[in-house]
Amino acid sequence: MAAGRSAAELERFLAERADHLLATAVLLAGSRDAGEDLLQTAVERLLRRWRRFDGDPEGYLRRTLCNLAIDGRRRAGRWRQKEGLLRAGLRQTPDPAGDVDLRDALVRLLVQLPVRQRAVLVLRYWEQLTDAETAAVLGCPEGTVKSAGSRGLTRLRELADDWNDTTAMSGRNGQRS
Amino acid sequence: MNTDVEDLLREGMERFTADLRAPAGMARRAVRRRRRRLALRSGAAVTAALTAGAVVLAATGVPGTGHDGIDTTAYVVTRVDGALSVAGPGQIAQMTVTTTRSAALPGGTAVTTTAEEWSYGSQWRSVTYSPAGHPVYDEGFNPASAYTLVSYQTRTWARQSGLGRPAAAVSLVPGPFRCGPVVAALPLLFQPGLPAFQPRVPDIGFPASSGPATVATAVRNAIACGTLAVAGRQRVDGMEAIELTSRPDSPISETIWVSPGTYLPVRVVVRFPPGLPGGQQTVNITWLPPTAQNLAQLTVPIPAGFRQVPLAQALRPILQQILGGLLPRFPTGPPLGPFGLGPKSTGW
Repeated sequence: MAAGRSAAELERFLAERADHLLATAVLLAGSRDAGEDLLQTAVERLLRRWRRFDGDPEGYLRRTLCNLAIDGRRRAGRWRQKEGLLRAGLRQTPDPAGDVDLRDALVRLLVQLPVRQRAVLVLRYWEQLTDAETAAVLGCPEGTVKSAGSRGLTRLRELADDWNDTTAMSGRNGQRS
Repeated sequence: MNTDVEDLLREGMERFTADLRAPAGMARRAVRRRRRRLALRSGAAVTAALTAGAVVLAATGVPGTGHDGIDTTAYVVTRVDGALSVAGPGQIAQMTVTTTRSAALPGGTAVTTTAEEWSYGSQWRSVTYSPAGHPVYDEGFNPASAYTLVSYQTRTWARQSGLGRPAAAVSLVPGPFRCGPVVAALPLLFQPGLPAFQPRVPDIGFPASSGPATVATAVRNAIACGTLAVAGRQRVDGMEAIELTSRPDSPISETIWVSPGTYLPVRVVVRFPPGLPGGQQTVNITWLPPTAQNLAQLTVPIPAGFRQVPLAQALRPILQQILGGLLPRFPTGPPLGPFGLGPKSTGW
């Protein structure tokens, strides 16, 4: 039998890095439950090759998370349900307190983006990877990462502008009343 | 208001994920879920009870899920037994048997022969080849057509009913002998015929064993004896396989590799101790669906121009070769009859 990594090593690695990876998974998936499912599935895939695994497990898990999120057609139905809930949440009247709500709103808006744009933004702004590293994780050209990221940010800016307009209008209405 | 979306997004992500803590035991859960999935996959043909058992086992996390995620013997044996209980009657075991007998005397030469074999329920067939690769004899048993033997050397063939008995009617090793020291010395898979069920071949004097069990039954009995333990995983023909091997106190080294997906045996190797003579037997097993094409392999074809003779007449030259050591068979001892004349010697 070839000597390999034990499951105990995997447990130790996860004890150190699972929180961060779960955050990535939740941002990719849009909810805690879906994120945990995503990470659990990725861990299972890592486990399959763990004994002979010779690489960066965190990188592997990150790449698997993105692939699972992108290749999520089977989860599309459930995903649309969640998206509906998230949209419903955004229709609530924003708190004029401003930035704090906008930060939360941006994250909720993030999950409405097409999954590849979402993955790029998560990798760029949460994992703080470069465009080249992001391209390597997603297995696509760097130009694709740049264009997807740009489109995603543009969309978020539009949504943020809408948010600002709504907030401003809400504030004016509040002053009138 | 800060309009830098990138900074706000980053801060929003941190806020959104600040309280997240990954659940403990993800690796253990992954091990259990993987086992459950494999059990379900292999149990596609397995009974619902077996599947339920797998789920229960996975949920309790006791057998087969050691802390290191290494297959435990009890778990693997249970899975193999369950898989064989289904595959035994439902699939054709196609086997390539390679037998090497070490030189009986110093300076002598080792002899290697191969045989192609098929086992399906009470039917079986075995084609034995000479060390040079030429077919020597082809034998098979079918409940409808009885025992058929074709000798390529004498260009004769024989068929006789009344020999052998359906596999389902007998166990491989009855009663207390099943796991006793004799079995420890002679691995069940390669047990010679059963004396209790051996009618004599007319005019030849040797008993005819009955093709007592399918390969599935043989392996089930072998693993049930408790002489095998999981040794880890290896690659067999490029595929990962779980290795079950004899415990150190077993006098004969026997190793069975099973697929981690189906838990069906894919290779068996038995190493006999040196002397009288020693040697090794390797059986590669492929499990085939009982299609018409595959079932046809169980029929012994009678080549054109071959002459039908009495069974004893067809047997004699073959037995002489075996006794002369030209066709190695294990375990050592006198031939036990037409069933299992060849390297397998078990009448699978």
